[in-house]
Amino acid sequence: MEGLTNALNVHDAFLSVKRNRCLLPLTDSLQSTEPPISSKYFRIGTIYVYLWRLLIPRGHGSHAFEPNRSTMERQLTGIYLKAFCILILLSLISSNVVAQKTLRWGADPSGGAPYVYTDPANPDRYIGYEKEMVDALAAAMGRQPEFVPSDWETLVSALQRQSFDVIVNGLEPTGDRAQQIAFSNPYYVFQLQLTVRRDDDRIHSLDDCKKRIVGTLGNTAASRLLEQQNIPYKSYQDPVGAYRDLELKRIDAVVMDVPAEAFYARDNPRLKQAGPPFSRGVYVIGLRKGDVALKAEVDKAIESIIVDGSLERILTKWKLWNEAQVEFHASVKTKTPPGVPFEMTNSSFNWLEALRRLSKAAAITVLLALGSMVIAVVLGLPLAVGQWNGPRWLRVFCTIYVEFFRGTPVLVQLLFLYFGLPVIGIAMPGWLTALVGLGLNYAAYESQVYRAALEAIPNGQWEASYSLGMSPLLAFRRVILPQAFRIALPPMTNDFVSLFKDTSVAFAISVWELATAYRELANASGQFLLLGVTVSLFYLAMSLPMSQVARMLEERLSRRATERIEDVEVMA
Amino acid sequence: MIQVNNLRKSFGSREILKGISFEVAPQTILGVIGASGSGKTTLLRCLNGLETISGGTVSCQGVQLQANLSATEYKRRVRALRLKVGTVFQHFYLFPHLSVLGNIIEAPVHVLRSAKKTAEAEAYELLESVGLKQAARQYPGTLSGGEQQRVAIARALAMHPALLLLDEPTSALDPRRMASLRGLLRGFAAKGHTMIIISHSIGFLGGVSDSLLYMENGFVVEHGPTEQVLNTPKDARVKEFIAQAE
Repeated sequence: MEGLTNALNVHDAFLSVKRNRCLLPLTDSLQSTEPPISSKYFRIGTIYVYLWRLLIPRGHGSHAFEPNRSTMERQLTGIYLKAFCILILLSLISSNVVAQKTLRWGADPSGGAPYVYTDPANPDRYIGYEKEMVDALAAAMGRQPEFVPSDWETLVSALQRQSFDVIVNGLEPTGDRAQQIAFSNPYYVFQLQLTVRRDDDRIHSLDDCKKRIVGTLGNTAASRLLEQQNIPYKSYQDPVGAYRDLELKRIDAVVMDVPAEAFYARDNPRLKQAGPPFSRGVYVIGLRKGDVALKAEVDKAIESIIVDGSLERILTKWKLWNEAQVEFHASVKTKTPPGVPFEMTNSSFNWLEALRRLSKAAAITVLLALGSMVIAVVLGLPLAVGQWNGPRWLRVFCTIYVEFFRGTPVLVQLLFLYFGLPVIGIAMPGWLTALVGLGLNYAAYESQVYRAALEAIPNGQWEASYSLGMSPLLAFRRVILPQAFRIALPPMTNDFVSLFKDTSVAFAISVWELATAYRELANASGQFLLLGVTVSLFYLAMSLPMSQVARMLEERLSRRATERIEDVEVMA
Repeated sequence: MIQVNNLRKSFGSREILKGISFEVAPQTILGVIGASGSGKTTLLRCLNGLETISGGTVSCQGVQLQANLSATEYKRRVRALRLKVGTVFQHFYLFPHLSVLGNIIEAPVHVLRSAKKTAEAEAYELLESVGLKQAARQYPGTLSGGEQQRVAIARALAMHPALLLLDEPTSALDPRRMASLRGLLRGFAAKGHTMIIISHSIGFLGGVSDSLLYMENGFVVEHGPTEQVLNTPKDARVKEFIAQAE
């Protein structure tokens, strides 16, 4: 039975992942509204009766519209339908009879060790100290735990969309979050740990990082601390990426909550701790604001697993039991306020600051688009010429290049360049990766634009050039290319606007461009709507002038061809 | 000026030119006539190196093309030949992205490396001689067919070719413009230019060329002074062609 329940849980989890991707909050809330058990049985009963009735009247001449249908066929259909109904009924019963109240909890399992993550030995299963803690909490609450894998950056909005009932994911209470959701009592006291490369002797504390880039997870106590201290930082989606970039020297240090640091970095021989842990904070469980009863239930369960020692056992097992926890558990058991003051990191949303950061992101977006376009425009030409008029091997090579870059998603290409190339010793920083990746990708598109344009130039232009004594290269440069450029210009500007928008995929490799900025600012503040409008305006403010310039350029070029003599004389 | 000896050209197994021989004296105009498919245009394209010849020789002022050369040597000689032979194509092929002046000075500046000023001064002279000085800064798209043709002639002459080839120069012209083109070409011949003109139009060639060459099926059927070919053709096929044209 447990196997079945597990399988169903996995299935449900899968469904809720899909649901999270769904942008319609309406369907979301419809799907996740849990009717009481009695109504469930009522529902099942109704379905069955309804289906049965569909079958019964068949034998009683109600099928006047199908007079030729044989009795045999009707009976067979009836049997199949009945079997089908019984199967549905059985499956509904099997999943509902054992059902008790669930505790649906959301967390980000990707790079989520040791909180909750995919069991490397058994990829169908999630493990982690918080997974075990939630199991203990649910047991104390008399509920069935149900894990809903989600995404760290969107946990709060997913909670509000009722994708799950509680967030258990090393969540720290902050002022911004407090405006959106409610918090349980704390269950864990965390500290931050600074990690550097083993051979680095410049950095011993956060104070040494004022002019270096520090990696951390986005929208965490650590990132807010770095922001407050004006330390340049780069935010990552998961600890793995941050520590790997540290090893690859893309960043100089990483600040991470101790549990993650202990799991991902402490045993890495190429990294070392810089100084002792600092800056205590607490993890709490996040709930929807209205769920007062659930909050009371959760608080009571937290207290009970602390008092009965089961949380201590879990933390000890995961090597997370330390001084801070000893003090914390003692204070809970004696019902005294915690002796250690917890430093609550806080940041409240500030529109001025947000606009400043968006402007910076916009500048990066523009530079990224311009840089990539330069690469694409320059590299596209040899590709086009090679594919159009090169020797066989070059044609084959260019065709493979073009088909590869057009036939695979640019996102995958970026991920490959960022994560794959370091394996063979090429570790480019994120912005350069995005620049090169988008440039290489768009070069494939530009080459096709050029090729079409080159092929559109009549052969007579070549022959006229040759008969004037020009070499093929001179003819190409002076006669063919300028004409092809004019043909290629409209699709090129089109591509440029589209490249400009495609820079948003750079968020996948943590480049701070507009889309990343939107995601991080909105997740930190919950201002999805207003920030979304603002970011769209930023994009428009940049892409509209671009289209305008392109149009002017096109008009200038095409006007030349039909310029009347009077205009020219005025100009001369 | 140009000597063509036993010139052959085949495309695959199809032989288009089957041993053509003739010579053009300096400062004269040779008219080439013949029905469509007789090989006139292929002949012209062999004379300016746009087609690789399959046999025989083409020589012009010390540059000789022959079939059995290495590819690089052939290319080298073709480039040398093209500096001596200018071409005015049937459809002109002016460069649409350049002004009339730009079209004319393009090759002198970038191939002969003349100074831009000199090339421009000369281009204005040429434009004046074809009567289009006022159109120097216009773009080809704004010109009529006849005007474009005259620009193409000026463009070819700007390279000081020893020989000028004209492919079907009358195809886009009405009778009045034909007469003015005839005058123009005679004028250039009087100034010392040598030309080969390919045309269907016996009337036009009769009025402009010093000698006529009648081609049929890849052979030279008759070649002689214009008067003689027109008035007393030796071959019955030429007679018939002339009779049909009249």
